[in-house]
Amino acid sequence: MSASPASNPKSPDISEKNKKYDRQLRLWGDHGQAALESASVCLINATATGTETLKSLVLAGLGSFTIVDGKIATAEDIGNNFFLPSDCAGESRGRSACRLLLELNPDVRGQHVEQPLERLLDTEPDRLQAFSVVVATELTDSCLSRLSEVLWSHNVPLLVARSYGLVGSIRLQVREHLVVESHPDPDSVVADLRLLQPFPALAAFCDSQQLEAMDRAAHGHTPFLVLLYKALQRWRDEHDGAPPSGYREKKQFKETLQQFRLRTADGVPELEENFDEAERAVNTLLTPPSVPEAVRTLFASQQCNSLTAKSDDFWVLVKALHEYVENEGEGLLPVRGPIPDMFSDSDRYIQLQNIYREEARRGADQVQRRVHLLLESLGRPSDVITEEQVRHFCRNTHALRVFEGTAVQQELRHLRLPANEMAAHLQNPESEMVIYAMLRAAERFRSEYSTAPGAEDDQVETDVIKLKACLSRLLSDWGCQNTIKDDYVQEFCRYGGSELHTVAALIGGCAAHEVIKLVTGQYAPIDNTFIYNGISSSSAVFRL
Amino acid sequence: MEGPADILPSTLKKSVVDAKLLLVGAGGIGCEVLKNLVLSGFKNIEVIDLDTIDVSNLNRQFLFQRQHVGKSKAKVACEAALGFNPSVTLKAHHDSVMSQEYGVNFFKGFTLVLNALDNRAARNHVNRMCLAAQVPLVESGTAGYLGQVTVIKRGVTECYECQPKPAQKTFPGCTIRNTPSEPIHCIVWAKHLFNQLFGEADPDEDVSPDTADPELTGDAAGSAALSEPAREDGNVERVSTRGWAAQNDYEPRKLFRKLFNDDIRYLLTMDKLWQKRRPPTPLDWDTLPDAVAGSSSSSASDSSLSDQRLWPPAECAAVLERAVGRLKEQLAARPAGDHLVWDKDDENGMDFVAACANLRAHCFGIRLNTRFTIKSMAGNIIPAIATTNAIIAAMVVFEAFKLLEGRLDDCKTVYLNRQPNARKRLLVPCVLEKPNPKCYVCAEKPEVTVRLDVSQMKLQALEERVLKAALNMVAPDAELLDGRGTILISSEEGETAANAPRTLAELGVRDGARLRCDDFLQNYELIVNIVNSTELPDGQEFEVVGDASQLQPAAPAPAPADGEAGPSSADAGGSAAANGSGNGAGKATTTVDDDDDLVCLSEGEDGTGTDGEVPTATTTVGTPAAKRPAQSDQGTPPAKKRRALSGSESPEVIEL
Repeated sequence: MSASPASNPKSPDISEKNKKYDRQLRLWGDHGQAALESASVCLINATATGTETLKSLVLAGLGSFTIVDGKIATAEDIGNNFFLPSDCAGESRGRSACRLLLELNPDVRGQHVEQPLERLLDTEPDRLQAFSVVVATELTDSCLSRLSEVLWSHNVPLLVARSYGLVGSIRLQVREHLVVESHPDPDSVVADLRLLQPFPALAAFCDSQQLEAMDRAAHGHTPFLVLLYKALQRWRDEHDGAPPSGYREKKQFKETLQQFRLRTADGVPELEENFDEAERAVNTLLTPPSVPEAVRTLFASQQCNSLTAKSDDFWVLVKALHEYVENEGEGLLPVRGPIPDMFSDSDRYIQLQNIYREEARRGADQVQRRVHLLLESLGRPSDVITEEQVRHFCRNTHALRVFEGTAVQQELRHLRLPANEMAAHLQNPESEMVIYAMLRAAERFRSEYSTAPGAEDDQVETDVIKLKACLSRLLSDWGCQNTIKDDYVQEFCRYGGSELHTVAALIGGCAAHEVIKLVTGQYAPIDNTFIYNGISSSSAVFRL
Repeated sequence: MEGPADILPSTLKKSVVDAKLLLVGAGGIGCEVLKNLVLSGFKNIEVIDLDTIDVSNLNRQFLFQRQHVGKSKAKVACEAALGFNPSVTLKAHHDSVMSQEYGVNFFKGFTLVLNALDNRAARNHVNRMCLAAQVPLVESGTAGYLGQVTVIKRGVTECYECQPKPAQKTFPGCTIRNTPSEPIHCIVWAKHLFNQLFGEADPDEDVSPDTADPELTGDAAGSAALSEPAREDGNVERVSTRGWAAQNDYEPRKLFRKLFNDDIRYLLTMDKLWQKRRPPTPLDWDTLPDAVAGSSSSSASDSSLSDQRLWPPAECAAVLERAVGRLKEQLAARPAGDHLVWDKDDENGMDFVAACANLRAHCFGIRLNTRFTIKSMAGNIIPAIATTNAIIAAMVVFEAFKLLEGRLDDCKTVYLNRQPNARKRLLVPCVLEKPNPKCYVCAEKPEVTVRLDVSQMKLQALEERVLKAALNMVAPDAELLDGRGTILISSEEGETAANAPRTLAELGVRDGARLRCDDFLQNYELIVNIVNSTELPDGQEFEVVGDASQLQPAAPAPAPADGEAGPSSADAGGSAAANGSGNGAGKATTTVDDDDDLVCLSEGEDGTGTDGEVPTATTTVGTPAAKRPAQSDQGTPPAKKRRALSGSESPEVIEL
């Protein structure tokens, strides 16, 4: 190996890591990976569902995890949990799982706390503040309620994962989750290339392009943005300065565009792909730019308008952006930067790319200046929000989202949905809401009898009756008159509260997906309950 | 074991214990499936996988660790699973499932077959083997955040090949050799160059100027400028590229001058090509720019990783020099006559391709790309993560349970979405489709129509590119149904070798001819109807029409599922081409190298990011366009919303 440092600045270590994570870096990027690597996740109880969740996170390179579990591994645990070795019966479940999980990835740190969550909540609940996300499994309603309260007050996201026989669920509790990269449906995103309100550098570049003076090759390789610009100028000259609007005018505008095509001696238009591109772009790119509704809502929000020293960086950035829009931005968000692929020679494409990039940088610099002023006024050091953060934020202004969740503690106390809405769901025997009701009834059973329905083979018949009673009390608490088919009650008693590994694997995969969304701040998390029904291979998401 | 298996109904429990399963693939999905099977009480499983473990597998293939790199996936996976539960009988085959050893009788030995594959050819093959052996098949695939699972049972459901799949993107050879206009053209050229210099040289992958370019022929003025005599096949008479390089001891500067100066100058003499195009610029080693054109220095260093930084041409040359030196040593370390195999995860091979592709792009005024992006395009990389595989593998086992209980009616095709769709579904189950009566694989008497030029196509091309590559036969026999039973191709070694270089017309194949093609291994007989055509679109060599009554198959195309502004990388290019030159010049085809785990029932495309942007996935999972939802409460048919990638058809993924 004789690589000179100049041509190969990578240290072998970084390179190895890049290779290992290559296939996921292509999904969430270096910054997503960095966020993951600095995240710490707490797992309450090393059940199969819990360890399957951690497995996917550890493989992906999570920073660290902590398992809180006061239980001793039983034969049943070992039988369905891949991360409990066959000889660990009688040992601490958390310790055994921690050891095997760490074998998956030497980059990850892990520890275990050998005590039940109840005790941790009694003695040192503040310890939970430090985590990026807490994943809870196998908790009683009362314990879950306490955990929910603590985490809600500290704004630490809580994910409750449950697998129960052939069904399972995930409940996400986030008080406020701020997403810079929500990856909105690309169809809904209008590219913001400012053709209708060209900034000076763009106008100067387009004006410098003399189509009449070009040879055929140059003409046919002129970026379509320039063509649109030229046609727009001509159109405006002919229409008192107004741009084309509406279907009819845009159709006419396409004819204006055609006038710029080269023609053969016989007047037949030449084949020029860049003109075809320009024509296709007329409908989308000639829409006046505006601040999207979702972002205007952020500007109007209370968090944005009453910043304190404790406000999240996100809100400082939103406030700075708002100020920019009202001032330098003249009502518009900063230019984002990237331009679409187009038919062009590379010299002019790169020039154009740089013009947009430069404009984006100018906007970001101005937002940054405002960020500094805001931080100063809040009494915070002006460098806590980095230049890179501001740029990243400005590139994603179209994708900013805020999610406000609901507390599990509230959900356990009363139904948020109107009773008639719930009743309508339950009316449909195939609705996953039936599964939700059954899971809640089973938890109520567990709270009342300290065991799962059907856990003892000789008690199944009595348990069916008891579970039915739990269910009808739950429904009456909700104000619903529905009845749920006995088949479900029988089926749930048959499960005996056991986890089926395959369901645990599925729920674990989904739960890890959500944790990654939360810690990377990319994509919209589920809002807020996911129910899986393995009997019918179906699933649904409800907001509860 | 006690406990968990009790949840399964007692009849199913017995079937699980008695079942003998074949798991095809021990990659991302395979590892998860194997774990799930072992923990669900299955006792008897065979695992087959040709691959060895790579570092880039470790972010998801959890049965493997750093010390296993280079070892057989099937073997290590089985060892790891046995370590967990020694009471299970596991058998590992480190082998290709397409090998002759695994015939119909082998497949008949299993209760169920579970596919966890990464490429279409193997999927097609296992599909046929399961149809022939009458064994139900659970098929699965993932790509990034997306995935799907389905069940195939002969005569009851659609088979894997019932719906035509979108053809792989191809490029005319002359575009690659003479007139590249997009980065992918340069990348394909660079991969061909690698094979010419270090790999298995394929005459269809020539990288030198092509004087048989159809744009030149038909006009004598164009060729008048040529100073060297052109051979009949259009390639300039010269020693092989490999021979030339060896004579010059792979001296990087000489190679550079030949490829980026002499050959470019030669291309410039074909002035007809440049009348409407920007002519390329020959490069000079000592005067290459050491900054990326027009790019200010700060943006170039935005990313600290050299992988994601754009190399200026001078740096490309430096990387090329280093890579050539190392590849030369690697080649020398091999036994005489052996060659290297290009692999996107091999650092030197990837450096070489990235550097050459960018230097060529620089010649032609095409924009340069980062090594990271080029790797995606050259390697047809499909992003892969543990979570998606975990979800899909669990679904595979659920479908297997249903099959073992005899509940085929309840089996579903299940799609995993990136985020809950408009109807709040993350997992979307769909009813299994009935077999397509016109399917050229699972129909009672399968037939297919192929359009080609009988006076141009040689028998060898028919065998290699039509029967094997496009129709996925392994060792076909072909008989002309002319009343005399003329044997054109025999799978017996050498028996019909003399026919290989002859054209179909010379062998008596005319418009309307019927060929009975038979593959013993797949137990598959297919009638191929020949339609003679001299006008195929885009310089294609042939076209598989499937059902002749619908000359344009309603292809379910893959859909971009994600991503913002994928550059033209959308065409992913495992690459390759049917050369459009008219004089029987070399036709190029290149197979796609798929990435592991992935690729669904319809293949995904690769994902890359625009420079300086977040690498966003343009991954895709194609879904047949007309799936029926399984749930009664679904209401109106899918709202179809998908974005077309630049230059590609706008395909659709169903959103229920």
